[in-house]
This record gives sequence, C-alpha cells and structure tokens, in this order.
Amino acid sequence: MNQTIAKPLPNISDFNRPFWEGAKKHEFCLQRCNQCSKVWAPNGPVCPFCFSTDYRWDKLSGRGKIASWVVFHKLYHPGFAADVPYNVAFIEMAEGPRIIANIVGTPNKDLHIGDPVEVTFEDVTADISIPRFRKV
Amino acid sequence: MRNLRDLTAIIGIGNSKYERLSASVSPLVPLVTAFKNALDNAGIERSEVDGLLVNIGTPFGVDYDQVSEAFGLNIHFSDQTWTHGRQMATVLAHAAMAVEAGLANYVACVCSINWARAGTVGTLGQFQDDREIGGAHFEHPHYGMTSPGGAWAMGARKYFDRYGATSRDLAEVCVSTRKHAMLNPAAVMKQPLTVEEHQESRYVCEPLHLYDYCLTVGGACVVIVTTAERAKNGPHKPIYLMGMQGMCAGREEATGARPGLGINQQDEHYPVPHPRDLEVYKMAGVNHEDIDAFYTYDAMSSIVWMSLERFGFCKPGEAWQFVKNGRIAPGGALPVNTHGGLLSEVHVSGWNHVCEMVRQLRGECGERQVPNAEVLQWGTNRGDSLILRR
Repeated sequence: MNQTIAKPLPNISDFNRPFWEGAKKHEFCLQRCNQCSKVWAPNGPVCPFCFSTDYRWDKLSGRGKIASWVVFHKLYHPGFAADVPYNVAFIEMAEGPRIIANIVGTPNKDLHIGDPVEVTFEDVTADISIPRFRKV
Repeated sequence: MRNLRDLTAIIGIGNSKYERLSASVSPLVPLVTAFKNALDNAGIERSEVDGLLVNIGTPFGVDYDQVSEAFGLNIHFSDQTWTHGRQMATVLAHAAMAVEAGLANYVACVCSINWARAGTVGTLGQFQDDREIGGAHFEHPHYGMTSPGGAWAMGARKYFDRYGATSRDLAEVCVSTRKHAMLNPAAVMKQPLTVEEHQESRYVCEPLHLYDYCLTVGGACVVIVTTAERAKNGPHKPIYLMGMQGMCAGREEATGARPGLGINQQDEHYPVPHPRDLEVYKMAGVNHEDIDAFYTYDAMSSIVWMSLERFGFCKPGEAWQFVKNGRIAPGGALPVNTHGGLLSEVHVSGWNHVCEMVRQLRGECGERQVPNAEVLQWGTNRGDSLILRR
C-alpha cells in the first residue's frame, strides 16, 4: 500500500493570518508601517524600525531575487520524500525584506544568487495557498 | 563599562565520558560524573556550591531545579538559558558577574546533553518550528526548511558566491579540526579525514557535506567559577577571565552568518569587524597577536570563517584563505579548537571548548598542548567572546 504522508501546513497565528488570507487570493502581502512606511519580514506585532503598532498589510509586487539558496538532500520530514533533493531559498523582495520560500520550475543546478524571481501560488488545500517563486 | 579583567577565575572543570547514550538515559546521569570531577578539580565541597547556571534544559538537557534537587545542592543563585546551544560564554560571564557582585561564592555552570533524546535534529516539531515570527534557524516546515544545518547552508552559499570560495575550501576547516581531534584521546572522531573524503561525503543540506556538520554525541561538562581572591586557595592555578562580552542580537544577527553577509534581514554593508566586537580585547588588555589559540562554536564548519572575520583576525571575505596551509591546524600560527570542537570531539554545546581552554592554560594537554599557551580566546559569529589567561 502506498500511503502518502502530507507535507506540513503553515502554522497560522494572529501575527500572520492576513498573510495567509492574502495568499489565498494569490496576493503576496507583508506588513507596512503607517508611520515610517517601511515594509518588514518576518511578520510581527510591531514595526521593528520605528516601533509603531500602526501598520497595514500591503500587497507587494511579488517580485524579488534569490539572496541565497540551499538543497535539502537529507529527508527530515516524510512529506518531502518525493521531493528530495528540493530547494529552499531566501528571496529578497523588491521592497527589501527577505523571506523563505521554494523556487519552482527550474532545476536546482540552474539556480544562482541574484536570479530574478516572481511569486506563484500553489493551492494546497481549499483554504491554504502557499507562495513559491519562479525564475523570470 | 566596569572592567572585570582578572577579577574572577575558573577553578575547576569536569566532564563525563563522551559517548553516544540511548534515549532512556537521563542527562542527569553523565552530569553526576562531571559534577564530581569538577568539585575534585576545584578542591571544594558540594556544600560550598551556592550558584547554579544551566545551559540547555529538557527534553535533552537538564533543568536547574531538577539538578539542585537530585544532587542535594543548596543554591542561592540559579538561572537557566533556553534549549539551544550558543550560550556558553554568556553563561560564564553571568557566573563571573554573580561572584564578583557577591550574589554567590562558587557558581557551577552546567551543561549535559543526551542527543538521542532530541531524535534526528531537524525533523518536524523541533527547535521552534512553530514559534511565532519563525524558529531560531529560519524554520519554515511548509517549505521543508526544518534543520539548523539549513540556516548554515544559506550562509555558506552566500559566502561562496560573494567571496569566490568553494566547498573544497571549507573542507580545510574540517580537516584541520580533525587533526586536532586525532591528538585528543577523549575525541569521538579520531580517524584521519582528507579534503577528498570531505568532498566525496554526501550532501546533507547542499552546499554542506556530511563532514561540515558537528557530531550529535553528547555528554556533560561542569565549570566552577569564583572570585580571584577565593581562587588562590585551590589545588590548581586559577584560570582568569580576562575579558568577556555578551552575545549580540537583532536584525543584523543571523544563524549561519556573521553580520554584513546578507542572510535573513542583514545589511550587506554592515562594518566588519564592528568596533563593538573588539571591546573584549580592551577589557582583557591584549591584542590579536597575544591570542595563542582560538575557540568557536563549530556546530557547522563555516562558523570558523564567520568568527575569524567578525573578530578581525582577517578581513571580511578572506577567512577561507586565512585558514589554509595549516594555519588553524596543530602547530599552526593560530590553532582553532585544539580538542576537535563540536565537529570532531563532542557536542556539549561549547562547554567542552571551555574545558579544553582551561586544560591548555594549565599545560595538561600532552601531545596536543599549544606550546606555552598563556592567553586563549573564545568568539562566535554572534559576537560573544571570552578571553582566558593562566
């Protein structure tokens, strides 16, 4: 019997719920401070630059570049058994912050730091869509 | 800042045998041996220990209340850091400040790890996978980013790309470290290692190979700290804490990198070394040339590069060349981790390093003894540092 073990789903908390609500609509959103206008990652309860709690969730361009990337060869979670070796990257968004995600549609050997990428969404359940990136 | 130079000292060290234990063995068990050895080494009675600082708690370490109760201690000053490594130097600094301020007379600093209780490090549910705003090594389980090594692989890739280094250059660190371990009877890994073997070993998280990763074999270490005044009464010459500085934290700090590398939210133009990182030399009253050997938290090989650059032993982007030609190996100009570190001796979270520093300064290291070792430094990619002297 071939039983497929599901991949872990994101841990949705009060801090990041709007991020995942945006993702469900295929919009890549991060927090932007209403006081100093800066955008930040990772998601948090306050602007790390000016310490204001007055912020909004802003839809970003969804574009960025590869800041660094790795390839997991060791299988740490059985949900990724069909994926190893798979990549994980730091993406530097055009707006500045760096976030973690996978890059899809390109063989790992063709990934380079600095490559431009844009967001794409995978609908993994009826409620959750996970942003990943593809080279442009 | 008050200068704490030479006001406090390490008077006793002890460790258990370094071996792989089954998950059923409580980390309290090897700690008994380490604690007894440290008391003997310090020449004090168990009843004289009135301070207890613990690094790494349950499930794979021990907790301060449990140790005190189980060992029949009577503690007036206790504290405990989170269930990660990193904290050895800051815990020792805390101990030094406590005895200097009179909050305790003899502080036992304790670390005991049974890695079998941690399972395979990097599997789901560990290391704050689900912590809000992310885990301590950028854990994002839904992207398959689940292991500490993943963070270090990010830093290594970025370093390779930015400075023209390769995995083969990184192998030099692993090979030099193994050469130290081969001279250390207590080291777990004593087989010779070559650059070729490193290169042929499997990737765990590319670009890091198997031999870039530390061991997950643990044990227990205890380090006893008191004032310089009390230290004079012990059976051994005191090992003085000449200089110390805390661990940096904030958006310029990242697992797997020194500031300025460009990992996580780091500014790529941050100055390295930052003047603040060199304060430890001022407190100690020494310069880089006075450091007889350097010690760092080598959970992954690349931390050696990151730490040497952070503390200004070489310029940013030059450490991969600096470590070549045996410079950090036995007999080199700056031996690094003369016991074999976390890579080849054992992983007691840096506490095995401070035990080694004390033994080197006492001249007890036999074949691996650094000739005339007088001043040794600990420093990591996070900016924490200790300078010890005999």
